[in-house]
Amino acid sequence: MTVFKNYIKSLFLLELLKGLRLTGRYFFAKKFTVQYPEERAPMSPRFRGLHAQRRYDNGEERCIACKLCEATCPALAITIDVEAREDGSRRTSRYDIDLFKCIFCGFCQESCPVDAIVETRVYEYAFEKRGENIMTKDKLLAVGDEHESQISADIAAQAKYR
Amino acid sequence: MTDELVTIEVDGRELKAKPGTMLIDVTDAAGINIPRFCYHKKLSVSANCRMCLVEVEKVPKPLPACCTPVNEGMKVSTRSPMALGAQKGTMEFLLINHPLDCPICDQGGECELQDVAVGYGSDVSRYSEAKRVVPQRDIGPLIATDFTRCIHCTRCVRFGAEIAGVRELGATGRGEHMTIGTFVEKSVDSEMSGNVIDLCPVGSLTAKPSRYKARAWELTQHDSVAPHDSVGSNIHVHTRNNRVVRVHPKENESINEIWLSDRDRFSYEGLNSEDRLTQPMVRKNGEWQEVEWQEALEFAVKGLQSAAGSDGDQLATLVSANSTLEELYLAQKLTRGMDSGNIDHRLRQSDFRLDGNDSPVPGLGITIQGIESLDAALLVGSNVRKEQPIIAHRLRKAAKSGAKVSFINPLWIDLHFEADQFVSTPAVMVDNLASIAKAASAKLTGNLAKLVKAAEVSETAKSVAEQLKSANNGVIMLGNQAAAHPDYSLLVVLASAIAEATNTSLSYIPALSNSVGAALAGALPHRGPAASLVEKCGANAQMMQSKPRKAYLLMGAEPGFDFWDPSLINSALDQAECVVALTAYHSESLASCADVMLPIAGFAETSGTLVNAEGTWQSFNGLVKPQGDARPAWKVLRVLGNLLDIDGFDQNSSDDVLEELKSHAAETAIDNSVSTKTAGELNSSTEGLYRIGDVPMYASDALVRRASSLQRTNSAEPAAVRLSANQAKSSDVEEEETLVVVQDGNRAQLPLIIDPRVPDGAVWISSALPGTEKLGGQFGVVTLEKA
Repeated sequence: MTVFKNYIKSLFLLELLKGLRLTGRYFFAKKFTVQYPEERAPMSPRFRGLHAQRRYDNGEERCIACKLCEATCPALAITIDVEAREDGSRRTSRYDIDLFKCIFCGFCQESCPVDAIVETRVYEYAFEKRGENIMTKDKLLAVGDEHESQISADIAAQAKYR
Repeated sequence: MTDELVTIEVDGRELKAKPGTMLIDVTDAAGINIPRFCYHKKLSVSANCRMCLVEVEKVPKPLPACCTPVNEGMKVSTRSPMALGAQKGTMEFLLINHPLDCPICDQGGECELQDVAVGYGSDVSRYSEAKRVVPQRDIGPLIATDFTRCIHCTRCVRFGAEIAGVRELGATGRGEHMTIGTFVEKSVDSEMSGNVIDLCPVGSLTAKPSRYKARAWELTQHDSVAPHDSVGSNIHVHTRNNRVVRVHPKENESINEIWLSDRDRFSYEGLNSEDRLTQPMVRKNGEWQEVEWQEALEFAVKGLQSAAGSDGDQLATLVSANSTLEELYLAQKLTRGMDSGNIDHRLRQSDFRLDGNDSPVPGLGITIQGIESLDAALLVGSNVRKEQPIIAHRLRKAAKSGAKVSFINPLWIDLHFEADQFVSTPAVMVDNLASIAKAASAKLTGNLAKLVKAAEVSETAKSVAEQLKSANNGVIMLGNQAAAHPDYSLLVVLASAIAEATNTSLSYIPALSNSVGAALAGALPHRGPAASLVEKCGANAQMMQSKPRKAYLLMGAEPGFDFWDPSLINSALDQAECVVALTAYHSESLASCADVMLPIAGFAETSGTLVNAEGTWQSFNGLVKPQGDARPAWKVLRVLGNLLDIDGFDQNSSDDVLEELKSHAAETAIDNSVSTKTAGELNSSTEGLYRIGDVPMYASDALVRRASSLQRTNSAEPAAVRLSANQAKSSDVEEEETLVVVQDGNRAQLPLIIDPRVPDGAVWISSALPGTEKLGGQFGVVTLEKA
C-alpha cells in the first residue's frame, strides 16, 4: 500500500507542487525586503546605536562627570577624567568610549542622571584607521548636536516607561 | 559606678552591659546596627539628628539610642514597626532639604546619608516645595564646603570644641535657618582641621585638594604610615591610576586614635610636584645633564673614590631622619664601609658636646597613649601643637583631666589647653631651667652646679618643681627647639637632673618621622647600629660642615632648608670635590652645590620601616610606582655599596635589610638615660639681638614644602622678622618696614612684623623658608639694618 502511495506521489510530482505552492505564495505576497540604502527598515525609539553626548538648550554640556556610566559599563569601554572648570563646576576633561569594547548594552544611558550620554539611532559608521574607534568627547558632542531633535523625541517617547 | 553588669534584651538577644552605658554603645559592641548621624564614638552625645530612635518596652515614645542609658531588664527593639516608622520619618525629614546632587558630590559612594537612605529612605519623595539653599562659604584651601548638603549633625562643631580645642566652626540660626560656618568670615586654621572631612556624614565638608579627583569606588586603599612627625600616624593611602589621590587616617587607638594632622593628610600633594627629579643628573663642565642610571652611578662612585678613597675621613654623610630605617642603616654601613665615621642625621642640632654621654636612643620613654595619664609635664623648647599635633592632642587630654603642664620656651605659643608658659630669650631659658633645678634641689656637678647655685629661685620655678615632685606620673619633655638650642647639652643635663630629683622621667619629642629609627640604625658618628658606642668616633653634623670634607653624601636633605646653619653647609658643599645627593626633588639649593643628583622614591613609593617616638616599628609597602626613573633609596645605596666594593651589600629586598638590622637592634628600646652631671659653658648670650629660628609646621621637610594646598594656608606664613613692640621701639624700626638681617655676614631682606609672642631681646626669624635659606644658624646674634 505504501509503495503504491509513493508511486502516485512521484508520478504526479505532488511534493514538487507542494513546494511550488509556498514559492508561489511568497511570489505574489507583499515583499518585505528593503532596498537599503535607498530604503530603510523602521526603528524603535529604544534603538541602541552610536553614542552621543547632549547639551542643554543654552549650549551647556549636560555631562557632570559623575562617572556612573564608567562604573556600570560591563565592557569597561568608558574612560573619564574630571576637572573643575574655571567657574568651579564639575566637568569632564576627557570622556572616551572605545567602540571596539562597547557591547551597546545601553547601561550608560540607563545610569546617566542627567540624560547626557545616549545611544542614538545612528548605526552607519565605519573606521578606516586605528584610533578612530575611540569616541572622544568632541566627537560625542558633535553627534549629539547633529541628532538632538531625534534624541529628545525618542527620550520623550520613552519617558512614561522609565 | 559598680562593676555589676545589667542584662538587657535587644531584638530578642540578651546583652550584658555596664549600667549607665548608652544603648548605642552596647548595640555597636554586639554588632546590632542602629542608623545614626550625629552620634560619634569620639565626640560628646548631642542627640539632635534623631536617626537612632528605637522602641523601648513600656515607654510610649521612641527613644534615641545614643542618649538612652541602659537599665536592668530593658527590652529594646530596633526593628519594630514603631522604631522603623520613627526612623523612616526622620529620614524623610532629613531628605527634605538635602539636595539630589549625589552625582557631583565627592562624598557620593561613601556617604553615610546615602547608605542610611538605602536602608530607611522611601523611594519617592512626597515633598515638592522649594528646597533650602545655603550660600557658599570659603573656609580655606584645605576644606571644600557645600552647606546646602548639611544635615546639622554638628559633628564638626563638636570636633572643634572638644578635640581641636578651637571652636572654629559653629551653628547659627535655628530650625531650617540653621547653618554651619565660621563665626566671622575667616578660614579654619587648626592643625587638625582636616578631620572634620572624615567626621562629616554627608558631603558638606570635603577635601579641597582631592576635589573631583576620583569617586570613592575607583580608589584602592593601602595601609601606610605618615612620614612627617614622630607620631607615625597610621594612614590609609588611596590611589588611582598609580597616583596617590588622598590620605585618610587609619584607626589605631594607641597611636593616632582616629585623627590625623593636616600635614600628614595633605602632604601627598608634594609627591606630584613639578620639582620631582625623575632622571639621574650629572654636572659636566658646570652644566647639568640628564643621564642613565649606569652612568650616574659610575660618576658618583668615581667621585667618591677619588675624593675619599684613600682617606675615609674625607667622606661626610648627612641624612634626613625622615628616611626609612633601611635607608639609614645602609647609609651608615656604606659610610663605615668607606672607613669613615662621619655620618649624622641630627641636621638641626648645633650643640654636640654631650655626644658619648647622651641618651643612647632618645624618645618619648612613655607610650603616646600614656601621655594622657600624666599628672605633670614640663616641656622645654617645644611648640608641640605645631610640631607634633597628635602628641599635643594627648597632652590636651591630660591637661583637661587635671595635669599641670608648663613650658619653657623662647616664644609664646598658641595652645589649646591650659598651661603655664615661661618665655625668655634662649640664654635665659637655661637660667629658667637652672632655677627649677635649684628649686627641686637637683644634683649636678662642675659648671652646671655653679650655674644652678647662681640661679635665683622664682616663685614660678618653685611651683613647677613642686608640681613635678608631687606628680605620680610626671615627665620633662625636650622639644625640637631645645634640640636646636645652642646650649642643648646644658638643657639635657639640667632636665635629666630635675627628672631624677623629682622622680619624674626624662623624655624627648623626636622631630622627624624616623629620628628614633636613625639612632637604632646607627646613623650617628659616635654610635653604631643598636646605639652601641663605636671605637672610632666620626665627626658630627656640625664638624662635617665647619671643617669641610672632600666628599659629601646627602640623602633626603636640602642644604638651604634642612640644616641648622644653611650658610655653613652651603660653604662646605661649595668647597667639596664631590657631592652626591640622593633626592626626590630637583631643588635650586641642591643644584647649586651638588655634582650628582640621584632620583629616589618619595613617600608611598618605597617600602620601609619607621620607628615612632614611643619606639614602635611600623613597616609599610611601596604603594605606587616611583615617578620617572626614580628608585627606592635603599636600592640606590645597595648598588653604590656594590660598586664601591664594600662587603655586605647583597640584600634583595628592603625586608632583607630590615632583618639584618633586626639582628642587631630588635631588642634595643628607647633609652633616655644621661650619663653625666655636668656640661660645658653657656654658648648663647644675652648680648645683642638674639635670633630664634623655629621650623614652621609646613616647612619641616622637602615633601611638605611642596604640598601646594598646605602652603596656601594661613599657617604657612612667608619669612619675616618678628619683634615685640618694645624691642621694635628700642631698635627704632616700624611695622611693615623692610629690614636687612645680618647674621654671620649673611644678609637677607625681610619685612618686619610686630609680634607680641617674641620676648624682648630676641628676634624671631623662622628657618627653612624661602628668604632665610642664606642666613646663618637657627639661633645666634643678628643685627638689623634699614633697607
